[in-house]
Amino acid sequence: MQRRDLLKLLSFGTGALMFPGTSANAAVPVLKFRELYVRGDELSDLTKSLDGKIVQMTGYMAPPLKPEVRFFVLTKLPMSVCPFCESEAQWPDDLVVAYCDDPIDVVRYTDLIDVEGKLELGFWKDPETQFVSLIRITGATYVKR
Amino acid sequence: MKRFTKLFLSGASVALMAQAANAQQALPQQTDSYFVSAQQELFSKLAEQPNTGRAKNVILFVLDGFSIPTLTAARIYEGQSRGVDGESNVLSFEKLLPYVALSKTYTHDSQVADSAPTATAMTTGVKSLNGTIGVTQKVTLENCASQKGAEAESIFELAEKAGLSTGIISTARITHATPAAAYAHTAFRDWESDATLSEEAKQNGCKDIAAQLIDWSAGNGFEVVLGGGRSNFLPESAADPEAADKTGARKDGRNLVDEWKAKYNDGAYVWNKTEFDAVDAEKTEHLFGLFERSHMQYEADRAKDKGGEPSLAEMTGKAIDVLSKNKEGFVLMVEAGRIDHAHHAGNAARALADTVAAAQALQVAYDKVNPQETLIVLTADHSHTMTINGYPKRNNPILGIAGTGDDKKPYTTLSYANGPGAKLDEPRPDLTNVDTTDLDFLQPALVPLGESETHGGDDVAIFAAGPWAHLFRGVVEQNLIYHVMAYASQLPSRVKAETTGAVK
Repeated sequence: MQRRDLLKLLSFGTGALMFPGTSANAAVPVLKFRELYVRGDELSDLTKSLDGKIVQMTGYMAPPLKPEVRFFVLTKLPMSVCPFCESEAQWPDDLVVAYCDDPIDVVRYTDLIDVEGKLELGFWKDPETQFVSLIRITGATYVKR
Repeated sequence: MKRFTKLFLSGASVALMAQAANAQQALPQQTDSYFVSAQQELFSKLAEQPNTGRAKNVILFVLDGFSIPTLTAARIYEGQSRGVDGESNVLSFEKLLPYVALSKTYTHDSQVADSAPTATAMTTGVKSLNGTIGVTQKVTLENCASQKGAEAESIFELAEKAGLSTGIISTARITHATPAAAYAHTAFRDWESDATLSEEAKQNGCKDIAAQLIDWSAGNGFEVVLGGGRSNFLPESAADPEAADKTGARKDGRNLVDEWKAKYNDGAYVWNKTEFDAVDAEKTEHLFGLFERSHMQYEADRAKDKGGEPSLAEMTGKAIDVLSKNKEGFVLMVEAGRIDHAHHAGNAARALADTVAAAQALQVAYDKVNPQETLIVLTADHSHTMTINGYPKRNNPILGIAGTGDDKKPYTTLSYANGPGAKLDEPRPDLTNVDTTDLDFLQPALVPLGESETHGGDDVAIFAAGPWAHLFRGVVEQNLIYHVMAYASQLPSRVKAETTGAVK
């Protein structure tokens, strides 16, 4: 059984406890998207204080770039291309990249997920995918709500 | 003296009605607070006099996607945000714009509209095809060749020809459908920059929407242009001022911002709030502001914008300061463009916050003009699928829980008929212990449409005040809005007079 599957099972038993502002593990601090930055790309003191620590974030899994990858983009709102309001894909500024130990199981991009892992801050370009990120969660596990 | 007589007579009418009301003392509900309040409203309406003067100025507020449930929910949301009773709260335009009608938003080819032909209906007076802007029903969607001979002239073009000042404001891209209907003529709304033009469009000489704005030949051009959409005006070779790792979208090498600056040496171009605040309206004849690469921020997120953005109210106030210097008057469109986007995302909180921001902008506009000589219209282009479910108690949070379904799970007061808030082939989520008032919460939806909730086909409201505003009554076609604005301002005849030298 993979760790994420274990978390899914745990979540099933404690599902009623999973709501914004809490974590399945009460000791794990919860970081909200709107708490990430003070303004623009200036990180908040809260975010900086959690660098290198295990955190939980809640959001949506953007459709992965290709199958069998070990990372996904976590977004505040479902990552969509609105036919009437967008003519091109508009990536939000406040996305977070989650790196997992195993290939990911894709969750539909409109389903909320709780992601837990180590917060890593700073510019980083993935040597394999060339994907650039400023905020990452590594060793990420996730459960669908 | 005539005006004094009118006021005197209307005062006498109210006095007579008050006497009549006193004669109803026998009614058992006579002193009930609701009864008294509504009776006072009656007196207020009896005192209203239709204004049949010429509209010197016309201001059209378009609240994109502002459905009637959005109106009700925003009213409650705004009141509750201030800690007062939400249900009986009154938004600025409900109080200031007394004439109301229902607008039928269907288009020439569709039961449910998009923003392109509905904006066209308001700015040119015709219904047209979904996806097209500033053209008549003769056009074929995405066919550039069909544009020729199908162009419809907008009230902004008329105003410029008649010597008035003009302005457009939007929290969306300024090349987006609603503001584009003031100046563009295109068979496809997505042709916002040359990068999105089709081969057929290029071969047949159709211009992208951003280029049409800069090359606009009506009068001396817009005096005010404020909104988002900067990337459509900058070439791929130009770095964006707000995001150094991003560039413009244009592939033809044109820098439309530089072209605008060269065209208007009496103008000011700004891209952030600091520059915007520094603009002296008295000394500025042309103002061009592009505050985001794409759409401007939602009002709920605006304070965190990297470069800083003015609010819709601040843009409206500055625009009127610039425009009102023209003694001939002005025509201004103010679009709250992102109510629609938040609804598409299934995110009611942001839609309501942007609606409140629009109400604040309306108040600013009303306070800056002479309401006796300014026709102000506030309406929506189309509806959305958000609904208000029963039966929450009075003062229940509008973003809260309304009740419990047969499945024993709570349901929210606000929900959508379709959109991202629906589960795919799964039972609906259990909202027990979920904070549904959170800014990022997506309201539940019935039909899963993950990419975007849809527009709605129900009628929308028109609110109006000022000269000939009383023509907005009953259930009307959306394109009547143009005809009332044109009639009230007499712009078509003023253009004719100008060509013979009678005006200016």
